[in-house]
Amino acid sequence: MSVDRVLKFELSKLNVHLPMRRISLKEAMMSARPQVAARDGSTHIFKREELDLLAKIVPEAEWEMLRLPILIALDPKLGRGAARINGEAEVRAINQILEKESAGEELLIYRPEVAVIRRKLPTTTQYLFVPG
Amino acid sequence: MASLAAALAVVTPTRMELLKLKQRVNLAQRGHDLLREKMDALIIEFFEILRRIGAARAGALKQLSLAYRALSTCSAIMGTIETLQASKEARRELEVEISTRHVMGIVVPTLEVEKVERSALDRGYSLHTTSSVLDEASREFEKALGLLIKLAELEESGRAIAKELERTKRRVNALEYILIPRLRAALKFISMRLDEMERENFTRLKRIKAMLEAET
Repeated sequence: MSVDRVLKFELSKLNVHLPMRRISLKEAMMSARPQVAARDGSTHIFKREELDLLAKIVPEAEWEMLRLPILIALDPKLGRGAARINGEAEVRAINQILEKESAGEELLIYRPEVAVIRRKLPTTTQYLFVPG
Repeated sequence: MASLAAALAVVTPTRMELLKLKQRVNLAQRGHDLLREKMDALIIEFFEILRRIGAARAGALKQLSLAYRALSTCSAIMGTIETLQASKEARRELEVEISTRHVMGIVVPTLEVEKVERSALDRGYSLHTTSSVLDEASREFEKALGLLIKLAELEESGRAIAKELERTKRRVNALEYILIPRLRAALKFISMRLDEMERENFTRLKRIKAMLEAET
């Protein structure tokens, strides 16, 4: 049974890097030191240049809607390498980054696109592992 | 194969055990899928950091080459002993603030350094007895130092991500090639054993029924 315990421990650790509360782009832009507290007690700091990039591509009226960090949900049900972005403002921002055209509250992206997003927004995006 | 047989030898073929095993297979499969997703994400991060390390290393090497060339020029113009003397006169304490940040739960270092480049007046050697080529060489070395600090941060991040990637890969492989096949084999064994017991029971009942009918 020890293997099961190790496995449960590993699974419980998968999402400890996620924030306890996400902040809006507006809050982040107004803050002198934009950051969120993670579940493991650490602090996740957003880079100013990434916030500026997001502020440039997202209309100011939507700053309140865009929650940071943007979560890239990796769900085994979607298949290997596929990921999901949730939220209207988040989807619009990611579409702009990827130069894609799609609307809605959910966006399905694939591994090369995830790599592009992580390259352009390393601190304002985070992985979320969705347990099946 | 021997270990699989040994594992099967200790399995109790009961329905309770079958249910427990099914739960364990589900957990192991779920764990495998999630850890594989994590491994894929780590690979993306690792390749990205490798790309950045490559660029940073090329930049640092180019800058170091410029700095050493400037130092050679300085030694040629000012003289080796004078250059050495000036370097001994120059004083510097560089404060590097080392903090950590988390990438998917992995602790990676962040180095924050105060402005590396400084003016000729702040360097500490005498401006009266030295040439401007020494200032040039010093400036190039200061630039190189800033790039080397950035490179150190990236390389340490890369090392931490590679270590976590190796650990996750080992877990995924252990689940994929050892634990899940073993659990599935045990599941199959119990299922076949229970079927066999049911068939035995059925035959036994048929036989008893035939015996009872023969007696009446």
